[in-house]
Amino acid sequence: VRPSEEPVALDRRRFLRRGLFGGALLVFAGSLPFVFRTTRRGSTPHAPLKLLSADEHAVLAAVAARIVPGDGADTRWPRAEALDCAGKVDALMATVHPDVGRDFRRLLRLCESGFVGLLTAGSPRPFTRAEPVEQDARLEAWRRSRFALLRSGYQALKRLAHAAYYSSPEVYPLIGYPGPPVVPQPPAGTP
Amino acid sequence: VSAGRIFTGAEIADLPSVEVDFVVVGSGAGGATAAAVLAAAGARVAVLEEGGHYTRRDFNMQESWAYPALYQEHGNRATDDLSILILQGRSVGGGTTVNWTSSFRTPERTLALWAGKHGLSGLDAATLAPHFDVVEKRIDVGTGDPDDVNNNNRKLQEGAAKLGWQPQLIHRSVKGCARLGYCGMGCPLDAKRTSRTTFLADAVAAGANVYADCRARLVETDRDRARAVVADVLDRASDRPRGRFVAYARRGVVLAGGAINSPALLLRSKAGTGSGQVGRRTFLHPTVPLIAFYDQPIEGFYGAPQSVAVHHFADRGERVGYFFETPPIHPMLAGLAVPGFGDTHRKIIERLPYAQATIALLIDGHHDDEGGTVEAGGDGRIKLHYPLSASLREAAVAALGDMARLQLAAGAREVMTLHETPLVLRSEADLGAIAAAPFGPNRHTMFSAHQMGGAAMGADPNRSVVDARGRHHQFENLWIADGSVFPTSLGVNPQLSVYALAHLFAAEIARAG
Repeated sequence: VRPSEEPVALDRRRFLRRGLFGGALLVFAGSLPFVFRTTRRGSTPHAPLKLLSADEHAVLAAVAARIVPGDGADTRWPRAEALDCAGKVDALMATVHPDVGRDFRRLLRLCESGFVGLLTAGSPRPFTRAEPVEQDARLEAWRRSRFALLRSGYQALKRLAHAAYYSSPEVYPLIGYPGPPVVPQPPAGTP
Repeated sequence: VSAGRIFTGAEIADLPSVEVDFVVVGSGAGGATAAAVLAAAGARVAVLEEGGHYTRRDFNMQESWAYPALYQEHGNRATDDLSILILQGRSVGGGTTVNWTSSFRTPERTLALWAGKHGLSGLDAATLAPHFDVVEKRIDVGTGDPDDVNNNNRKLQEGAAKLGWQPQLIHRSVKGCARLGYCGMGCPLDAKRTSRTTFLADAVAAGANVYADCRARLVETDRDRARAVVADVLDRASDRPRGRFVAYARRGVVLAGGAINSPALLLRSKAGTGSGQVGRRTFLHPTVPLIAFYDQPIEGFYGAPQSVAVHHFADRGERVGYFFETPPIHPMLAGLAVPGFGDTHRKIIERLPYAQATIALLIDGHHDDEGGTVEAGGDGRIKLHYPLSASLREAAVAALGDMARLQLAAGAREVMTLHETPLVLRSEADLGAIAAAPFGPNRHTMFSAHQMGGAAMGADPNRSVVDARGRHHQFENLWIADGSVFPTSLGVNPQLSVYALAHLFAAEIARAG
C-alpha cells in the first residue's frame, strides 16, 4: 500500500463533507486486497450468511464480542456469539440498499486491517488476531478519533452490535426489563 | 361505490399497471388523508406504499421485529455521517404506525414566521382551524389526561413545575388506550388511532386501492403535467425489487412519502428541480437526550411514552429555541443511545429501570440555520447531509443544562449526559462541565423523530417548491401533501399538522385536479 493511500493523509474536509457512506476512506478500504488472508475465523456462522463472506463475518463477530458486555467482568451476560449478533447484523444488512451493504463490508475490511490498526492505535495485527485489550484500544481510537469518518465507522459497528444484542429477549432479565406485557388476541374474524 | 382493498407486493406481481384519477404516493398522515378526501369526492384513487401491510396481530412489541419492519431503511436511516439517527415510519400507515401519539396544532408563532420571513400567504390559524377540527375528531385527539402520565413523564412534569417552566399535558390520538408503552412498535390493540385505522380505512371504503410493497421510483411528467408514477414492487423478505408497477394518473399525482422521501422522489425523477430548492432546508428537530437516575424505579418502558411537554424555552429570541418531552425507554433504543461499549456501556444499561430520559428537540430553521440537504441518486439511495450550525450547538448545550436542572429539581440522584465520555452531574455546581465538554457529530447522541421540509411552500418559485395549497410550481396537477412542505420545523410534534394540511390541500385537489 502506497503512503498516499493512508487515511490520515486524505483530505479531512472531504471526510467531514461526505461522511461515512461515500467517504473516500471506504474506497481506500476496498483497495486492501490482502486483508482477509490472515483473518482468524473464531466462530462459524449459525446460519448461511446473506451478505457477508465468512471472513467478513469473522471480523464482525470479533468486533461484536468486544462491543457487547458478554466478554467482560460480569459473566451472567451472554456473549455476542451466544446471541448470534454477527448473524443478526448480516441478515439486517442484507436488506438495506446494496450500496450501503457494500460500504459496510468495506468498513469491516478497514477494521480488520493491521495497517489501519497500526496507524490508529499502534496495533499492527489483523483485528481478529489481536488480543482483546488491543481490540478495545482500536475501537477506542476510532471512537475518540479526530477524524469524523472513523467516528462514524465506530458508530456503525457499535450501534449494529448493540441493536442485535439488546433487542434479544435473553438479556431482558439482566437489564431488569420484564419484557412486553401479554395482551389479548383480537377476536377471530376482526382485522 | 364498491370498496377497494389493500394489495401486497405478492398479490400485484401479475398486475403491471393501473389507471386511476389520482395516484397518491404514501399512506401515512398526508397520503391517507388526501386519499380519503379524494375518494369521498368520487375519484378513483390508487395509494402506493413502499412499506409492508401489518396489522395489530403483527405488532409483537419486540424491538427486534418492529424497527426493521416498521421504520425507514429497517431502522438504519441516519444522516450521512451517522451522527443523527432518523426514526421515520415505513409501512401501511407510514409514520402514524409508530408515532408516539402526541398531537399539537401548528403554533401561530410558526405560521407567522412563514407568512413574514418566507412570504407564505393564505395559511393562517383561522384557515387551518376547520381542518384541524375534522382530523382531530377522526383520529380521536383527546384533551390531555393526567392518568396518562407514567413515572418517566411525571419527573419531567414535576421538575418543570418546580422551576416554573409550565409543563403541559399532551393531547394524544388514542381511543381505549391501555398505556402499554409500545406506540413506537405498532399498537397491538389498535387503540392508537393511525392513518391505517382511520383515513386510509375511509379511503378504502370509498373505493381506493392501496398497493403495499410498492416503492415509487419515478414520477413521469409530460410538459407541465404529471402523468404516472413508476414503482418497484418489493419482495417483502429481501426488500429487493421483484417487479415493476405503473400507476397512470388521469387527473393528478399527490406525493406524501414524507420529508426526505418526497424530495428524493422529485430529485430522482429530475422533475421540477430547476430552482435548486428541492431537498434543501430539510429539518429534523435535532433531538438531544439526557438521562437521570433516581432511587425509585421509573420503568420508562411502560406507560404512555409521551404525555408531558415543556415549551418554556421554545422562544429564546435571537437564539435557537427548544422544547422538552420524553422518549419510551426500551432496551434496544437505550442501548443505541448510551455511548461506549463493553462493560462501560453495560454498567449504565443495567440501571435502566431507574433511568428517566428527557429529550430536547431543537427548533431548527427559525433562525440562520439552513437545515439539511437530501441527495438522491438514480440507484435509489438517499443521502441526507445535515451540518450542525453553531447556533444549533449553542442550543443543544443550553438545553442539556436546562434538562439537567429539571432532572435535579425532580429529585434525580445523578444526571448522566450522553457525550461519548459521559458527564455525571449531581448538583447545580456540576453543570459548568456541560459547556466544557465537546459537542458535535458523533461526540454526543442525537436523533430525530420529526422530519420536515425539503419541498417548501411559498409564493416565489425560486425560493420554494409548492404553493400554499401544496401544488407544485411547475406541474399543474402535481401536489405534495406531507411534512416536506413546511418552510421550517414546526416547534411541535408535526404529525397532526401533516394530517390537517393534507386535509386542506385535498379539498383543493379534488376541485382542481
